[in-house]
Amino acid sequence: MRAADLVAFSWNVLRGYGARTLLILLAMGIGVAAVVAVSAIGEGARLYVVNQFGALGTNLVIVLPGRSETAGAMPGVLVGKTPRDITLDDALALKRSHAIRRIAPLIVGAGDVHSGTRHRETPVLGSTAEFKDIRGMELAQGRFLPEGDPRHSTPVCVIGTTVAAELFGAGAGETRALGEWLRVGDRRFRVIGVLAKQGESLGFNTDEIVIVPVAAAQALFNTSALFRILAEAKSRDQIPAAKSDIEEIMRERHEGERDVTVITQDAVLATFDRILTALTLAVGGIAAISLAVAGILVMNVMLISVTQRRAEIGLLKALGATGGMIRLAFFTEAVMLALGGAALGLAAGKLGEVLIGQVYPAIPFSAPLWALAAAPAVAIATSILFSVAPARQAARLDPVRALSKR
Amino acid sequence: MIALAGIGRVFRVGGEEVHALRDVNLQIAAGEFLSIMGPSGSGKSTLLNVIGLLDRPDAGRYLLDGRDVTALPDDELARVRREKLGFVFQFFHLVPRLSAAENIELPMVLAGIDPAERRARLDRLLGEYGLRERAHHRPSELSGGQCQRVAIARALSMGPAVLLADEPTGNLDRHTGQDVMAVLERVHAGGGTLILVTHDPEIGARAQRRLRMVDGAIAGDDKA
Ligand SMILES: Nc1ncnc2c1ncn2[C@@H]1O[C@H](COP(=O)(O)OP(=O)(O)OP(=O)(O)O)[C@@H](O)[C@H]1O
Ligand SMILES: [Mg+2]
Repeated sequence: MRAADLVAFSWNVLRGYGARTLLILLAMGIGVAAVVAVSAIGEGARLYVVNQFGALGTNLVIVLPGRSETAGAMPGVLVGKTPRDITLDDALALKRSHAIRRIAPLIVGAGDVHSGTRHRETPVLGSTAEFKDIRGMELAQGRFLPEGDPRHSTPVCVIGTTVAAELFGAGAGETRALGEWLRVGDRRFRVIGVLAKQGESLGFNTDEIVIVPVAAAQALFNTSALFRILAEAKSRDQIPAAKSDIEEIMRERHEGERDVTVITQDAVLATFDRILTALTLAVGGIAAISLAVAGILVMNVMLISVTQRRAEIGLLKALGATGGMIRLAFFTEAVMLALGGAALGLAAGKLGEVLIGQVYPAIPFSAPLWALAAAPAVAIATSILFSVAPARQAARLDPVRALSKR
Repeated sequence: MIALAGIGRVFRVGGEEVHALRDVNLQIAAGEFLSIMGPSGSGKSTLLNVIGLLDRPDAGRYLLDGRDVTALPDDELARVRREKLGFVFQFFHLVPRLSAAENIELPMVLAGIDPAERRARLDRLLGEYGLRERAHHRPSELSGGQCQRVAIARALSMGPAVLLADEPTGNLDRHTGQDVMAVLERVHAGGGTLILVTHDPEIGARAQRRLRMVDGAIAGDDKA
């Protein structure tokens, strides 16, 4: 039997039993669409997180006090004794490294911020002029913290747009904040800049913060300890060198104790990447179960079809069809169904992807390539696998008996 | 051409043995027109199925064109059926999804014959059996006589040496039955071997050689 005739014959069968064909196409299509849509959501979440880290600044190396047991992970639980604090001098010492372009010390606290009668509680960050470039921040108005010796405190601050709007006037547009005085705790700062609207960036909503010089923050919170040091490596390749330089310098300054944790953006990113990829694979796999269910449906429908078409199969044998030809005809039918279902499913999955993309435009939904290849492949494989039994049953049918029943 | 020696066929139905054929010895020459008659259950269909290689005998030897086909593997039997044998059934057995033309084409499709060659043969058969106007009709849109003509054209599409017909008129009225018989006799007149099972004495009598079966054995073999 010629391949073209085989396809034409199967096509005729599929058309002849339209309801049955539609049912299987639907089941297959839903299975494939589910895999595509679910993996698109997983991949979207992964890309979203990766992008968020990217927004944190490029080539970022973060130094935090305490030795975390799980290197490369988030700031871990501190073991044993309280670690030595990281000081501003430690931070400035890091500038010695040739792998580091700039550093920014960071102190974080919560402050009661007043302006006239209005007040609100906001996170207050203490840092230096370089913080802006390390975090890739933009200003809407004014300028950022002045350059100069970070050990000196100047009474100036930069505020987020929400803070500006709430304390200095209505509306999101131009506010009268610039040049005004702001009271944080018992200290007064002049507003010299308003940050551009940026929104959430892993942990902080930069629209809701107040940034003051690091020395001012030290006085304000009555501490000399830094929350973190942010360092920017000169390039991506320099990140490991920067990391080892930092560890070396810090050890020197802390009498040989390794009591800081240095995390690179890469390591954190890789961890998240792994977790989310695994998650996507897992949910994709769960969705693929629906493909197996579709396969069982194919088998069921094919078995019914063998019974329904007994006389026809007997006739084909009487006309000289071998068992192999009959089997092949059933396989062809199954593959055509799977191909149709897969095409339908891919289209539906893509459509679903676009639709959820409309609802959550911030998340870059897009099915990964492996899902687009694996879903149809699994559909075809299951439908061939599950049509083995019916095809064999048909091929073994005794022509005399098959023909004797009308 | 066909030589059966000591053919036996036994069915087991619920522990009981039914001897559908017992020790059948039969020689059929090329170009013969043979009718098989006998009471219901006498083994006529079983004999035809054995000759048509649809059923295997439990005993005896079957030579077709001098070749022992008793123990051929299934796929080889299918090939011999495809190339040498044509079947016509009481209930036509047309594929309801396919048009008359597609039904006639079916054996040629299974044999993998070139589409151009198929079209040529199809065209000749449609003309020969007066089916040209009905070529694109489904079996459900055809009369019983037309259906049987389609079935005969289909059986002949591969140019078989032997045409086997099991009660081909059994499902037709008298007049249409005569019509179909005329078609079959034309095949015989063209040199084909025709083996026909029938309950109708009048039709059986039209054959030159009349076999009578009783209880699985040949009880009479008249040659005119
Ligand atoms: N597949 C089978 N299983 C069991 N018994 C069978 C089978 N096929 C035929 N028989 C038995 O074999 C015997 C011969 O059957 P066969 O069909 O050859 O008779 P027949 O002469 O064609 O009868 P009819 O004129 O009614 O068609 C019958 O007793 C029948 O019951
Ligand atoms: Mg019979």
